[in-house]
Amino acid sequence: MANISSTTRPAHLQHHFVDSDQQFDSAKLGMWVFLVTEILFFGGLFAAYVIYRSWYPDLYIQASELLNTTWGAINTVVLIGSSLTVAMAIRSAQTNNNRGVYINMMITLALAVVFMVIKYFEYTHKFHLGIFPGGNFAPTGEAAEILTHPKANIFFSIYYMMTGLHGIHVVIGIGLMIWLAVKAKNNAFSAEYYTPVEVVGLYWHLVDIIWIFLFPLLYLID
Amino acid sequence: MSHHVHTALDLWKIGASLLVLTFITVAVAFVHIPFPYNIVVALAIACVKAYIVATYFMNLKWDEKFNALLLVIGIVFVVIFIGIVLLDTLTREVVVPSF
Repeated sequence: MANISSTTRPAHLQHHFVDSDQQFDSAKLGMWVFLVTEILFFGGLFAAYVIYRSWYPDLYIQASELLNTTWGAINTVVLIGSSLTVAMAIRSAQTNNNRGVYINMMITLALAVVFMVIKYFEYTHKFHLGIFPGGNFAPTGEAAEILTHPKANIFFSIYYMMTGLHGIHVVIGIGLMIWLAVKAKNNAFSAEYYTPVEVVGLYWHLVDIIWIFLFPLLYLID
Repeated sequence: MSHHVHTALDLWKIGASLLVLTFITVAVAFVHIPFPYNIVVALAIACVKAYIVATYFMNLKWDEKFNALLLVIGIVFVVIFIGIVLLDTLTREVVVPSF
């Protein structure tokens, strides 16, 4: 008996799925379950933020003076732009345009790197002022004059944990985009198969959403 | 395949609306709305932005409803978590020592 399945099933289709649509929907469902765990993961940090803000509202107003609103706003625009290019990459894949996927992934990658470079300068500027997380917190100069609150180190521990964990997600995203760009270069995607672009897109949009909340909560406090 | 394909123009419109909302949230911060309404306004704008990203960029509008349900369940549990923790921490006579 001839094995017809090997001739009618596309190469991307795993043997345990009925068809491409079922495989695609299963992968997306799995990604959404993962994203829920991510929301709960960050939820713990948001809880810490809310508790300390309810206890020490003055601390947050004082300490956020040392966060640069302009750089925070620029990074927000950068991440929204990168969400747009990821969505464009998915559209390219859906229209059988691997070159479009490649170009949009490279733009997204560049924007993610811009985000991290800005974050690097923000962090090193704070380290320069002696603003370290946890027990190493020892502000000097103008930072010491502003940060008179006895719990000032708590705010910055929360700041470093929230933006740091978010930054780790951006770095992982950069790795995923390199992977997708290489696959697109090899014409791996088509309207029938673009699952990796779709699920990485979901991941990247969630990273964007988390920053959408971090930006006003950390940078825009009076 | 029945996947929803956005037009490029639609994607640009969604991105532009997010940038406009970002501009509004920064502008509102400089107006100095009195506490606690400044937090309410900032979070409301952030929620609208998150809704736009989830609905249009993450395609939940055209997706299996179960995926949207998962997202809602995740948010509900974060709200329960923070809400119940606040019931404790906001009703203490003194803040926990050393915190």
